[in-house]
Amino acid sequence: MNADPILTLRGVRKAFGATEIIRGVDLDLQPQERHALIGPNGAGKSTVFHLVSGHYTPSAGEIALAGRRIEGRGPQAINRMGLARSFQITNIFPGLTVFENLRLAVMRPRGLQYCLWKRIGRDPAIRRETERLLEQVRLQHRAATLAGEMSYSEQRSLEIAMTLASDPKVILLDEPMAGMSREETAYTSDLIRTVTRGRALLIVEHDMQVVFALSDRISVLVYGQVIATGTPSEIRANPAVKEAYLGEEVAA
Amino acid sequence: MRSNSTLVAVALGVLLLAGVPMLLSQGLVNAAIQMLIAALFASAYNVLCGQAGMLSFGHAAYFGIGAFGTVHAMNALGGTGLLPTPLMPLAGAVSGLAIGAVAGWFATKRTGTYFAMITLAIAELLHALAPHLKGLFGGEAGVSAMRMPAMGLNFGSTTQVYYLTLAWVLASLALLYFYTVTPAGRLALGLRENGHRLRFLGYHVHGLSVLVFSISAMFSGIAGALQVINNEAANYVVFDASLSASVVLNTYIGGVKVFLGPALGASLMTFFGYAVSDLTQSWLLYQGILFVLVMMFMPEGLAGLLGLAAREQRRLGLARFAPVLLACVAASVLLAAGTTFVVELLQRMFSQDYRALASANAAAPWPPITLLGHAWLPAAAVTWLVPAGLLAGGGVLLLAVRRRLQPAQAESEPAAHAPAPLVQSPGGAA
Amino acid sequence: MDTLLVSLLNGIIYGLVLFMVSAGLTLIFGMMGVLNFAHASFYMLGAYFAFALQGVLGFWGALALSPLLVGLVGAVVERFFLRRVHRYGHAHELLLTFGLSFIIAELVKLFFGNFPVNYRIPASLDFAAFRLGSSDYPAYRLLMGGVAVAMFVLIYLLLTRTRVGIVVRSAIYRPRMAEALGHNVPLVFMGVFGVGAALAGLAGAVAGAFYTTNPNMALELGVMVFVVVVVGGLGSLEGAMLASLLIGLITSLAVAVDATLADALALVGARAWAEEVGGLLTLKVSSLAATLPFALMLLILLVRPSGLLGEKA
Repeated sequence: MNADPILTLRGVRKAFGATEIIRGVDLDLQPQERHALIGPNGAGKSTVFHLVSGHYTPSAGEIALAGRRIEGRGPQAINRMGLARSFQITNIFPGLTVFENLRLAVMRPRGLQYCLWKRIGRDPAIRRETERLLEQVRLQHRAATLAGEMSYSEQRSLEIAMTLASDPKVILLDEPMAGMSREETAYTSDLIRTVTRGRALLIVEHDMQVVFALSDRISVLVYGQVIATGTPSEIRANPAVKEAYLGEEVAA
Repeated sequence: MRSNSTLVAVALGVLLLAGVPMLLSQGLVNAAIQMLIAALFASAYNVLCGQAGMLSFGHAAYFGIGAFGTVHAMNALGGTGLLPTPLMPLAGAVSGLAIGAVAGWFATKRTGTYFAMITLAIAELLHALAPHLKGLFGGEAGVSAMRMPAMGLNFGSTTQVYYLTLAWVLASLALLYFYTVTPAGRLALGLRENGHRLRFLGYHVHGLSVLVFSISAMFSGIAGALQVINNEAANYVVFDASLSASVVLNTYIGGVKVFLGPALGASLMTFFGYAVSDLTQSWLLYQGILFVLVMMFMPEGLAGLLGLAAREQRRLGLARFAPVLLACVAASVLLAAGTTFVVELLQRMFSQDYRALASANAAAPWPPITLLGHAWLPAAAVTWLVPAGLLAGGGVLLLAVRRRLQPAQAESEPAAHAPAPLVQSPGGAA
Repeated sequence: MDTLLVSLLNGIIYGLVLFMVSAGLTLIFGMMGVLNFAHASFYMLGAYFAFALQGVLGFWGALALSPLLVGLVGAVVERFFLRRVHRYGHAHELLLTFGLSFIIAELVKLFFGNFPVNYRIPASLDFAAFRLGSSDYPAYRLLMGGVAVAMFVLIYLLLTRTRVGIVVRSAIYRPRMAEALGHNVPLVFMGVFGVGAALAGLAGAVAGAFYTTNPNMALELGVMVFVVVVVGGLGSLEGAMLASLLIGLITSLAVAVDATLADALALVGARAWAEEVGGLLTLKVSSLAATLPFALMLLILLVRPSGLLGEKA
């Protein structure tokens, strides 16, 4: 854990008008670490994601990706620098098929944004990559279905697959397992573990079993501030955390 | 298998179009030229509107720019023209592309309603400016040019102009179709569905939008060029709101989800406009009513309706489908007849001539109106019962058909979105 | 000096007429998120209804009834047309209102003919208010301005001081919450739409007598009204007032200016060059008067898209 962190947040603040949502967050993400961000509803976890991914600009503080400052940059620049995120509220292309959804995500790392001279269907590499991702999230049988017509948990899987498509160094997953059954959660949890090998992961989740099983370290966000960071056992034992958030669940 | 039948249908269509000058009168060939141009303009418009989800209310600007670019190119070099006549539409393409890129760069900085308002403002700006820039736009009389002979043809006859137009429209449509299967074309669909997410996938959404806008403007410019080649003149009234309006109406009436939908809507509407413009003064009213009906009850347009008919036929089998189809056609005819009757009656009742006639003769305040060779008295109940009956009959038939199709429509909906680009929605896996 | 004053006054009055129409439009947009293309058609209907009723009810009677009729039309449009396509999204609603504006214009041509009608100020109101230099200033213009100001004050008070106003504002801001609290939000929508239409109708009834009443008036004014609400900020009443006055003044004052860009360039000694280039540079500002509002709209859309007084988009 002595390597330089791949993602750092220093003194990050975000205010909307008079209300300060993020009130000074410091966070380090190590290069191959799985780091969970937990906290009560309204703590600002999604806001942190929005700040890191370029959707919002911090009111104060710095965010750096692999040593380069990214606060204030746009989402596309940050994504091209190697950071990809999924969304808490499913953010897919509802009128297009699942295959098409994924293919759009796969096209970008291959530089096909302005390509006007070849048929996309004729590109075997793109097709193989799209099918590979489909298989990984177990959506092959839904390839021709309109994304907007799938079940909620299937859409969450698509959401994850789209995030992985750009082969990012840092992955941000915002409640990826929301709405999934026990079996789906277990599968997706394993999937996340597999695909994030060699990458850094920052994940927001409410399912504590998943959080404690999956993460190397956990940060607890309460009222826009990180009140504790540490390994799962450290967090479990931390009295401030217990008081603020975990309560009965940990004892179980 | 399906794509084979589509190819056959397309080949047949092209053959039919090629045979038009031999089958129809000169007047109709002229109408056909207008229909082709309108079809191209609508298809170009749909690149922006139906595919990329950017509603433009001022698209006549790029049609007009293409037109004026071409007319000046035709007059260049002392009248011999910058390009040989068969290649002249390239001037329209280039001018449409150039202005489209600039306008698009500004317009696509915003989305949704703001984007629509910017396109409207740009078109209105041009419309207000054009009369003052006489050098460019020629003032009230416009700018005229002459088609120069080339390649052994003198382009004097309507037939030759028709084939020139047909060639360019077919080539443009082929290119536009190819565009929809390129990576950029698929990305444009993503723009429509969720431009926000595209950012987080690393795409430069503004750059993409400008590209799409430019392509749409380029082909609109080609349509404008073809118009000028046909008319041998360009006038600034082309920047009028009515052309921008009609392309919107035509495109949606045809159906935006299908590649040939807008072309279908535009050619049909142009044809009807041509055919009935002598018979009625209220053609635009009918077009507006049709548009509103489509927006409210058939958002997928006529193409969607055809697709629905095809699906229902497959589901019900020909034996059970045929009477339903007949009932639908009958209902449409009745409703159209009833509406047309009322509108034409009212139109004549409120016309200046009739009112003068009515006020001149105090003894007979409501003289009869001649319609369909019969004299109708506005005061008589019969006059109003006829259209009422037609409308009621049509309405009843329609309700009956709807009830028949209702329970089945819900279950057949998911299957409806299978891919097959030309005839159905270009949204499937390639 | 007098011409300047006259231009100023005319500009303010024209701006106030614009405000009367844009007030309803901006409120409707703020509430429903839909830019109602047919709003200027309500203006036109107001003028035509007043014209039609004038013979039966006299000028003042027609003026009173016409806006009510237009309000009714507006309510019908919202209830039976807009509500139906609400589920297809804003773009669809926009297109529908576009189609409706088209139909209304054609219906007007059908019933009243494709040329201006003789809707005039009654003789009783056709007098001069005062003299400005060498010309008389018509009292009717002041009447129009007065109606507009009264309208602004009334709406403002209604929205901020009455219970109805609070309900409407909450429905504009948070329709679902307002509904959860037991307010009949669909009724509120219909009401605001109808009132907005009625206001436009009143503007038409009042202004149509002064300016011309013809089937194109919806288009001519409609585009201006869009410029006003975009410049002022979609949803902001104060913004609509500010933008209307701004545009009224710009248009009015520009018409009096005979200078050209070439004249301006003369200051740096480039007049001869500019005149040789011709085109835009030698166009008089007075000729360009009609294009200035669009240029302003484009500028605002690029620099400050939420408008002068609108909320940040």
